[in-house]
Amino acid sequence: MLTIDFGPNGVVVIAGRLDAAQAPTAQAFLDQVQGTVTLDCGRLEYISSAGLGVLLKTQKRLMGSAGKLRLSGVNRHLQDIFVYSGFDKIFEIEPAP
Amino acid sequence: MTSYRSFRRGFDSIQDIFAFTAEVFASEHIDPSLLPSVDLTVEELFTNMVKYTASTAAVRIDMTKVAGGVEVTLTDYDVEPFDVTQAPDVDINLPIEQRKPGGLGLHLIRRLVDCVRYEYSAESRQSRVIFRKTQLGAPTSDRGTVAGSADAHD
Repeated sequence: MLTIDFGPNGVVVIAGRLDAAQAPTAQAFLDQVQGTVTLDCGRLEYISSAGLGVLLKTQKRLMGSAGKLRLSGVNRHLQDIFVYSGFDKIFEIEPAP
Repeated sequence: MTSYRSFRRGFDSIQDIFAFTAEVFASEHIDPSLLPSVDLTVEELFTNMVKYTASTAAVRIDMTKVAGGVEVTLTDYDVEPFDVTQAPDVDINLPIEQRKPGGLGLHLIRRLVDCVRYEYSAESRQSRVIFRKTQLGAPTSDRGTVAGSADAHD
């Protein structure tokens, strides 16, 4: 399952598994954000290419209006996925402590 | 021992597939650190079958414990050949304006598992994709080993 909602200070908190079945839920939420947004991935356990597509689409839209999506609290497995996808070149990524 | 289950063709089967993989990992005492890569690979292969084949048959998934890990086979019935091992890599160095999400799934699995193999039986119109993920056989380069016949998309 996946949850996504606003947390403190306008940060978007995403938790659970961002797979092909959950991607439309995440996309619908992220389609509403504007400006520069931090996505707290500290409780995001899993992401597949469908989830990567959601992040890519959101980043393209936000960068088109001088904003961006930042990814924070990224665990080791997700970091590997982002590197293999080249997302480390198009997102600012803050690893989990 | 091999465990297997068939799953209705649709994205709403993904939760049930993850429950199955977790159940096999637990019952066979397979290293849980391998599970995210196995889940991702199964999801990408399964959703590819859902999106690109016209069959309505369920997809069968077999899981067998092997030394240091697991071997997984996805069998798709009543389909044309489609060799996932021949899909081209994504150019991850493109600027964001030129990046598209398509093809990332197959690009990723080649980097996450030890090897991927494709087999097709024209007689029974069955596609089988077999992959192995172990602690011991992780790719030494940034790509796993791939093998199969031609005729690819995505």
